[in-house]
Amino acid sequence: MVAIETVLDATMEHIVLVYTTLLISIVISIPLAFLSLYSKKLAFLVMKFANMVQAVPSFAVVAIMVPLIGIGFTPAVIAIMLRALLPIIKNTYIGLSNIDPALIDYAEGVGLSQWQIHRHIRLPNAYPAIFAGIKFAAILANSIAVLTAYIGSGGLGEIIFQGLIGYNTKTLLIGAIPAIVLAILIEISFTAMEKRLTPTHMKE
Amino acid sequence: MQNEKLFDRIDYIRFKNITKKYGSSFAIEDLDLGIEGGELLILIGPSGSGKTTTLRTINRMIEQDSGSVTINEIDTRELDPVRLRRNMGYVIQNIGLFPHMTIAENIGLVPKLGGWDKKKIEDRVRYLLDFVSLPPDMFMDRYPRQLSGGQQQRVGLARAMAMDPPLLLMDEPFGALDPILRKQLQKEFLKIKKEIGKTIVFVTHDIEEALILGDRIAIMNQAKLVQVGTPEELIFNPVNEMVASIVDTDRKFKHMDTLKVKDLMSIFEDRYMIDASLNACDAVDKMTRSDVETVFVFKDGEVLGQIRMMDLMKCKEENIKVEELARPVKSFKPLDSVAFALSDMKKSGEYLSLVMNSSKPVGILVSDEVLLKLI
Repeated sequence: MVAIETVLDATMEHIVLVYTTLLISIVISIPLAFLSLYSKKLAFLVMKFANMVQAVPSFAVVAIMVPLIGIGFTPAVIAIMLRALLPIIKNTYIGLSNIDPALIDYAEGVGLSQWQIHRHIRLPNAYPAIFAGIKFAAILANSIAVLTAYIGSGGLGEIIFQGLIGYNTKTLLIGAIPAIVLAILIEISFTAMEKRLTPTHMKE
Repeated sequence: MQNEKLFDRIDYIRFKNITKKYGSSFAIEDLDLGIEGGELLILIGPSGSGKTTTLRTINRMIEQDSGSVTINEIDTRELDPVRLRRNMGYVIQNIGLFPHMTIAENIGLVPKLGGWDKKKIEDRVRYLLDFVSLPPDMFMDRYPRQLSGGQQQRVGLARAMAMDPPLLLMDEPFGALDPILRKQLQKEFLKIKKEIGKTIVFVTHDIEEALILGDRIAIMNQAKLVQVGTPEELIFNPVNEMVASIVDTDRKFKHMDTLKVKDLMSIFEDRYMIDASLNACDAVDKMTRSDVETVFVFKDGEVLGQIRMMDLMKCKEENIKVEELARPVKSFKPLDSVAFALSDMKKSGEYLSLVMNSSKPVGILVSDEVLLKLI
């Protein structure tokens, strides 16, 4: 039987792991997506890399961390980030570049600077796409954070693996159910936020 | 700095030996052209003739390879492009309203970036919306896609005038509209043009539009300026076959007397028809959806009159039916003479009339400024 504190601690660890990774991913992805607008080469590399890493099984990404940087919290963060970065970069880049060229042309024609075009035109137009990317990344991070328990990240995965190894269904469920609940909460809260942040003109 | 006015008024814009090449082909070849302050100059020609390129050298969206553009004797290359552009209004074909901003935000964007305070921006937006016949309270908080094509085009014009620039650059502003709507907006624009007294450079590929709006018309072909002159000069003294065929001298103007209403009318469509019992506000919605500015009111298959969107705008204040607002409309038969119909319309100040075959509407006749000049 697992003590209630253990479950709470594991849940906390899990949440910290997921949101730390998510935050770092956002901080890295969004500037990278903006830079990609200026360099076709960078955009190509980023997209290529994004699609490739998407194809690699999550567990393999986690496993490969061990020989490269060892075990613990940091390798776990990097492993999760590798998967979580990509939906955000990809969506942000698509959101920023998928804009009617006539709008950009017009903005230049009335004397908006590049910075002002980003700030007032491209970014607000890309909000829904960026947000969809972040939501997907959060769900992905939550599920990979279970796997990273294998490389010593702590979190709910640890309890699940204990349950699996010892054929103990109860322990397994005590780990798995909070992980599922977390996933559902992420989905619900992000969807609610998305609704609030989507500009009125894009609703309906 | 960037918001300071460069010129209070335009005295003269001069293109001197402008050449622009893409690879080995000319976009503009050795263009010399002068634009007088206060005039509306049309640039017209087939696609690829260099008309838009020429327009875009004025605000430096395109930099010429050689030659110079001077405004009031100031070479545009000596000016900061951002500052230069803030001193001109710009209207483009796809209108380019920002979909994520309300109408008020769209019009107020450049003033906002120029550091105007909220109150001043709102006053300006209200003034401009009024000016283009869109009631501010009804439209300020809407998004562009909630507007009809004609309404969006008006907002585009209002936006271009936000900073009250002395110069307007218009790149096929009515190009995406259907013919009847286009004529209506041209007509309104002609009125506005007289009121604002700005210098306007206007690109189009529609010769009728050019003849209606232009004080002078510059005809371009294959990167070169072919002829520039007033509409009458081009019609009566074209320099070559190409100009003659563009202004359509032979087909239309020389046979004025034999033209019939049916030759000039647009085909009647159901969307121009509205039921007399409809509530005025519902009529506004219906017209916005079907993208028309004027409709004809029918009751039991009979025409009661016409009604313009503008007449309905106060629908919220007084709850009435379109029936009560319909204004009389002239109607002609398909085989009536155009000269007769147009002068009749002009006399009563109408610019739209119905073409009826016995009691069935078959077409719409829009007044034609150019033909009227020649009658």
